[in-house]
Amino acid sequence: MDAAVLLGSFFLLMMVGMPIAYAMGLAALLAALWIELPLDAVMIQLAAGVNKFSLLAIPFFVLAGAIMAEGGMSRRLVAFAGVLVGFIRGGLSLVNILASTFFGAISGSSVADTASIGSVLIPEMEKKGYPRPFAAAVTVSGSVQAILIPPSHNAVIYSLAAGGTVSIAALFMAGVLPGLLMGLVLAILCLVIARRENYPKGERIPLKQALKITVDAMWGLMTMVIILGGILSGVFTANESASIAVLWAFFVTMFIYRDYKWRDLPRLVHRTVKTVTIVMILIGFAAAFGYLMTLMQIPLKATTFFTEVSKDPLVILALINVMLLVLGCLMDMSPLILILTPILLPVVKLIGVDPVHFGMIMMVNLGIGLITPPVGTVLFVGAAVSKLKIGVVTRAMLPFFAALFVVLMMVTYLPWLSLALPRAMGL
Amino acid sequence: MNAALDRLYLACIWTAGAAIVAMSTIVPWGVFTRYVLGTGSRWPEPVAILLMMVFTFIGAAAAYRAGAHIGVSMFTERLPDSMQRAAARLVDALMAVVCLFVAWYGARLSAETMGQSIAELPWLPVGVTYLPIPVGAVATLVFVAERAISGPQAHREIVRFGEAS
Repeated sequence: MDAAVLLGSFFLLMMVGMPIAYAMGLAALLAALWIELPLDAVMIQLAAGVNKFSLLAIPFFVLAGAIMAEGGMSRRLVAFAGVLVGFIRGGLSLVNILASTFFGAISGSSVADTASIGSVLIPEMEKKGYPRPFAAAVTVSGSVQAILIPPSHNAVIYSLAAGGTVSIAALFMAGVLPGLLMGLVLAILCLVIARRENYPKGERIPLKQALKITVDAMWGLMTMVIILGGILSGVFTANESASIAVLWAFFVTMFIYRDYKWRDLPRLVHRTVKTVTIVMILIGFAAAFGYLMTLMQIPLKATTFFTEVSKDPLVILALINVMLLVLGCLMDMSPLILILTPILLPVVKLIGVDPVHFGMIMMVNLGIGLITPPVGTVLFVGAAVSKLKIGVVTRAMLPFFAALFVVLMMVTYLPWLSLALPRAMGL
Repeated sequence: MNAALDRLYLACIWTAGAAIVAMSTIVPWGVFTRYVLGTGSRWPEPVAILLMMVFTFIGAAAAYRAGAHIGVSMFTERLPDSMQRAAARLVDALMAVVCLFVAWYGARLSAETMGQSIAELPWLPVGVTYLPIPVGAVATLVFVAERAISGPQAHREIVRFGEAS
């Protein structure tokens, strides 16, 4: 009954259209009244949820990515990808996928990925003879890589939701191979489609120009070197590396690329406030919500439930995958990570799944949810950028969903994909 | 009235904006003092946390007015118009409840911890870091009331700030 008050009221509040963050807060409040918990305790959890040094990395990573996405970085990454794969048949679709791989290395936001790479490449692909729905589908599916390839602020949120027991460095390294695998599988699909439809080849870029493009892109890609190098060598903490990434992004954008005008900066700050504070306050309310979940022993009940259904780890993982896919289609990524991690982590730990590996399973599942109707933020952005109807893009994405499902299965059932790198580095 | 609310909105945006800009310089400063000056100041951490509280709670109020918070609309948008309006009023009322709770209990938490000081920074009372919570909640409450009385503001130029809504 306790659980029904908390989860039921949350569900109802969300359905009437209350913003998810505040719905979590109110549900926690109602549940606290129900079990006669002093409301001060709820307040302390909410305050402590945000009053945490480890949270700082989130606004920093998002801000660094936003500065680079708008400051002409995406155009340069596209050009660099063009040098590497543009000359192959179906070149521009491969360029699109690879540009997203690079973009993932400077930002963890699929939305920013789709918006910035889509606005460069969708018109370009259409001009060269690719159907626009295909161009949109490639852009949207490719952007899921950004969630896996470090730095990923969603990995930071997962680390936080796991109660700080999973290190950010390990999660970052764990995302590398699944992210590259996803890029590879999508690229193979593009190659197959390009051959069948006889999509055009691009031209080989002359060496001198290619060198200039490469150097240009390196300035931006240095960000990842700073972040990963700093964290892995222990020179910086995750927060510090994220804050230095902001300064670096600012330096490269304003003094090297110089596409961005100083007078555009207030707009960037304005947008950052709107997009990041909603995640931050969500984390605060989720802390209060999570506290009540623990008091009501919901994680324990979930574990009992899953182990009563089956004892087989493969079956339990399959069940969790289905659940994550369905919920991911209905809700946004960050609230789901915050709500589901404390519930599901004890279950998967019991069946011997490494929390780092589970983080990757969750990222892929929820990432697919971001590009799937009815609620798919990235899909909506892709439809808006390509000026197509959501249904048209979705139809063009069907083969890509199949490819991503293959990646999901591999990430779920081949733990070494996620764990080999962090283990090799002793994380 | 509208002009005053616009000013409050901009004040929230620029307070939060200044906080994140300051955060992004303070944390690297901590790194600089540790490696270059070799002193390793202890103040950047608590100050950055204070700024993050300001950023989060003050900024989220503005984000509410801008309609930026994530919500689920797929059920309400299928309802007939009259029901949609009723749902919107209900949400306004529920939002007001949350804001009142956060404002009241946040103020209490802040007041109770004014006597405690932060270890790294003796002059800074813990209560000050909690102060943005009730302040932000009151600002959100004002915007909730505005929405209930004059409707959503997210489409207006001053809120969009040069972007498509």
